[in-house]
Amino acid sequence: MADMILKTRDLNKTYFGKVDTPVLFNINIEIVRGSFTALIGPSGSGKSTLLNCLGLLDPQTSGEIDFDGKTIAAQNVNELADFRNAHIGFIFQFHYLLPEYTAYENILLPCWIRGGKPAPETGREALRIMERIGIEKLKAKAISELSGGQQQRVSIARALINKPKLIFADEPTGNLDRESGHTVLDLMSELNRESNITMVMVTHDREVALRADYIYELVDGRLCKYLDVKKIGKTAAALAIEDRTCTIDQ
Amino acid sequence: MKGRKNRYEWMIALRFLLKGKGQTLLIILGIAVGVAVQFFLASLIGGLQISLIDNTVGSAPHILILPADRIARALNDSTAKSDNRKVLYEERTEIYSWQQYVDDLKKDPRILHAAPAANGSGFIERGVSIVPVFVKGLTADGMDIYKIKEKTVAGIPDPASDSALLGQSIADRLTLSIGDKFYLRNNKGDQVFLRVGAIFDLGAAAGNELVVVSMDMVRNFFAIEGVSVIEVQVKDVFKSETIAREYGRQYERVKLESWQEKNRELLTALSSQSASSNTIQFFVIVSISLGIASVLAIAAVQKQRQLGILKAMGTTNRSASKIFVIQGFLLGSVGSVFGVAFGLLLAYGFLAGTGAPFGFEINARTLLTPIGLALLASIIASTIPARRAAKLSPIEVIRNG
Repeated sequence: MADMILKTRDLNKTYFGKVDTPVLFNINIEIVRGSFTALIGPSGSGKSTLLNCLGLLDPQTSGEIDFDGKTIAAQNVNELADFRNAHIGFIFQFHYLLPEYTAYENILLPCWIRGGKPAPETGREALRIMERIGIEKLKAKAISELSGGQQQRVSIARALINKPKLIFADEPTGNLDRESGHTVLDLMSELNRESNITMVMVTHDREVALRADYIYELVDGRLCKYLDVKKIGKTAAALAIEDRTCTIDQ
Repeated sequence: MKGRKNRYEWMIALRFLLKGKGQTLLIILGIAVGVAVQFFLASLIGGLQISLIDNTVGSAPHILILPADRIARALNDSTAKSDNRKVLYEERTEIYSWQQYVDDLKKDPRILHAAPAANGSGFIERGVSIVPVFVKGLTADGMDIYKIKEKTVAGIPDPASDSALLGQSIADRLTLSIGDKFYLRNNKGDQVFLRVGAIFDLGAAAGNELVVVSMDMVRNFFAIEGVSVIEVQVKDVFKSETIAREYGRQYERVKLESWQEKNRELLTALSSQSASSNTIQFFVIVSISLGIASVLAIAAVQKQRQLGILKAMGTTNRSASKIFVIQGFLLGSVGSVFGVAFGLLLAYGFLAGTGAPFGFEINARTLLTPIGLALLASIIASTIPARRAAKLSPIEVIRNG
């Protein structure tokens, strides 16, 4: 059996308000360690909500999440914050960099949060990542001076700096032109292969999803399909995505 | 780990302030003006009060120990016929065992000087004019109470047997200058020939009417066996009433009078002045706090996105609120230091511009109180945005872009 880094059991999420809105229904997914997994689905299907629950940003209403074999149960927000800092990296559609800092400083922010002023070797590691991603020349640039693709690459570097076990990416190319989008995706798959970091990516772009090892499709807050792309091949996966019928019965 | 974490909150707070330069400068200016006003007021009122008190009692005794007991005296025959009282009570005008009192008082560390003095009323005859004068016989300690040495405007303030020290007013009135000679007469018609040794200016009208000679000379000339009064100067002028009351309980044969009893009106004026100055200072502090609170509250809204990102990356609620408390602290400290500097400039400008006859009271208290209050106000004001920052959920920011 494959080594799972993340597992959910009957995950439900409801937003409570004047009208309660249930968003996720009994989600059971498994993420293989070191894999590249795509969460797809139409707008409003709950894929971003699922990603935020998996990333411990948004607490689930019921159900359990096992992270690296341990159940993340009812921890307080501060413990979750420490946990996110140590083990999880995020890449969002909008880059979410801090405009008060330069590219290099933004990359080091998770290290500051973790333990104060970063050690010189952490600084060197940041530079090494910047070089790897091809943004070493942007070191001292303000965020506002960078293009969308450059900003997204800075946020990838930031997600990598604390050597997380998992990186969650929510439509990382959604705000980029086609070429920049491709560069960012290539980079993510390369990093996934090189460093064995598990990546979970939300996308509504089927072409983008086909780059992943596994695909989960959500429809109306329920899991609809699970595809092992490596096993069935890209063509079969592409056909399966096109097919409207759900293969997971809930 | 927690200790090291502190630094990043400082780093972020500082960066937020530096990146919002206009806003930061504005609030620092606001705090600085408030602190300057507060410092200026406190040191002005303080200086004014010190100068008032100094003029009133700085060169005068703070406590007078006066003879109090009445002694019964049998009536002689001639008076008995016209007076149907059996016994006559005579007020004592002298303290005989003064040496004991002085020795006792000098042991008290709160007391600066305790000196006997002999008083007498006499006349100065000069040419055709005869002017009534109040003659005060002092010891060297007594001279220190009146600060006669410091306040001498001409001559040498050393009351030898034939020299007298004159207050400025009496010297002017009699057109006496250093070295001039005059007759002093007592109520029995005896007279003594004196030379003007020095002229002093005590600042107060009553003081400048004095003729000061040595105590022994007054005792001889006015036939005083004891002394008229024991004059006491204490270190803290405001404690003199308490000290007087304390000794009043111990000393049964004398009565004690503190300067406060004679200067009730001045004291009322001073305390109402302090009260109004404190009221103004209180409202200045309130307005500073409101200013800081509103600017930081706006900053918390402006930085909501950044806070959400920081929280997603692992910033705890505690750290998020700390970022704002630190900003409050930084604004308060920089603002109040500028404020005090500005206040000092204002004070010196005021003194130079108006030529006010009093100094500002600039000491650790007047300097540090507005700084401390502004800092405290800044930190308290920053708890409002700090609470907001703690409550913010990263998901709010991420979901709403």
